[in-house]
Amino acid sequence: MSGTKPLVEISMGIEAFASEWLHCDRISSYLARMVSHNRTDSLLYANLLSSALNELLETAFAHHGPEGNFSCRVSRLGDSDVIELDLPCDDMTLAFYRDAAQRLTQPDLAGIYHSALFSPGKPDPHLGLLEVAVDYRARIAIVAEKGNRLKLAAELTLEGAAA
Amino acid sequence: MSIDRSYQASFNENNQEFVIAGKLRPQSEDEMRPLAEALTNSLAQVRGTFYLNVKRLARLNNVAFRAITNLVSQVCDTRPELRIEVVTSSVMGWSTRKFLPLAERLPNVTVNEYDNDFYPGQSFLEEGGFIPILRNQTKLTWRHERHLLPRHGLKPGMTVADICCGIGDFAVLVQKELKPSHILALDHSRTSLDYARKVAAEFGIADIEYVYGDASEMVIEDNQFDFVTCRHSLQIFDRPELILKELYRICKPGGRVYITNEKNSHCLGEPRGESIQWTYTEVAKLFADFKMDVELGPKSRRYLADAGFEDILVDSFMVTNGDGDPQDFANMIQAWENVFAGEMARDRGDSPEFIARFRQGFQDQIYAALHPKGYAGWPIWAASARKPT
Repeated sequence: MSGTKPLVEISMGIEAFASEWLHCDRISSYLARMVSHNRTDSLLYANLLSSALNELLETAFAHHGPEGNFSCRVSRLGDSDVIELDLPCDDMTLAFYRDAAQRLTQPDLAGIYHSALFSPGKPDPHLGLLEVAVDYRARIAIVAEKGNRLKLAAELTLEGAAA
Repeated sequence: MSIDRSYQASFNENNQEFVIAGKLRPQSEDEMRPLAEALTNSLAQVRGTFYLNVKRLARLNNVAFRAITNLVSQVCDTRPELRIEVVTSSVMGWSTRKFLPLAERLPNVTVNEYDNDFYPGQSFLEEGGFIPILRNQTKLTWRHERHLLPRHGLKPGMTVADICCGIGDFAVLVQKELKPSHILALDHSRTSLDYARKVAAEFGIADIEYVYGDASEMVIEDNQFDFVTCRHSLQIFDRPELILKELYRICKPGGRVYITNEKNSHCLGEPRGESIQWTYTEVAKLFADFKMDVELGPKSRRYLADAGFEDILVDSFMVTNGDGDPQDFANMIQAWENVFAGEMARDRGDSPEFIARFRQGFQDQIYAALHPKGYAGWPIWAASARKPT
């Protein structure tokens, strides 16, 4: 996104990332703490950012292409922080994220999210993205890129929410 | 696949409270089975209201949330008479928002965000009106503490936490004069923290992190700090041992925790000593009525020992009208009178006669402080101890 200042980026092979569930928690906790130190309330901000980032990472953990590089970058845009996940994708992954992008434009997103949150049976695979869009009021952009790549960007303005 | 067991869960039958703390980010519902079983067993034991306490649950993913809420929903269906109160914390930021939709769906579930109501009496001390008192106090005590802190183990380059930092002026003085590498300053008053951040910004101080939090249940990880300070605060909590447990937890093994507290009935002055002594004996009783022990100072050794610390060092010092400008001392007493004989005495329902006599003792101490041959004093106990390695 234009005007953003990159703060920190973690990059690894998608196989390595998806080999261990704890990576989602570890990466989200570490990156959130790193970028929150100069926010008004660093602990509160880190807690919120980690929660949102973890949902995005858990989504990417479950839905990604078979091989290639995976990166997670956090950039600053004034009071906002932008999380960008760059991951390999195949046709199935692309369809999953296209469906998600389409759902995120629906009216009454909060209603859709709460229905998904309390639905019986298997969890809605878009639940994490819906939560980040509703509870954290993130602007989410999903863009397919050349070479079977996909970029998921979430712009979060947590500074006001954390004060 | 590794399972992260970084959560703690416990049930207290007496309070009918199930507490979940730490981090819950499982990959599958199977990983939730031990917690779900414990929660089911606890629910089976209660009648009336069941408290699900997630105040110190720092992280929760949707897998865990759905497992917990599915279980709560099932119990609500089968036991409509049971009330379930989810206790969240404003400190976490996300938890109230996450659990509120559950209360909207299930009529017997409520969500209660933990806040100042849990500390009766704290509002007197957390409102903006107390800021002048705190400013004066720190100015006066710093003359003594700047020499005491190195004796108690504070060295340049250390990582420091100042818990119950108030308006943050102590942290600023420590940062400027004693040069720790970093200070985290935590308080439960947003008014005080706003003031602290403003002051730090005005002085261009960037090495202090001011954070909102509850000293008795902090979100800070274990074993983080070389030196942990908590000044004039154990004495104004009804359960100081809970805060000491947290100070111990966040202190590194081998690090030290430093506390200061008063014994208000020992405030003194001459001339007019008798009136002054009567008033301060009454100050101690007034605070006791609001569940605060402003006589805690000399009990520091016992509290530190009971919390598991070793190498306990206790000092005491007397802040007096001879510490710089006597008017500063007099201003502090005036600020005390305004709050103690004002809002607090009124809230307790004290009679006008009592309040008049109560105020007189403060005025007599001010008289002693400003008298050319007078002496007025406020005793403080400074104690520190080491966390065993």
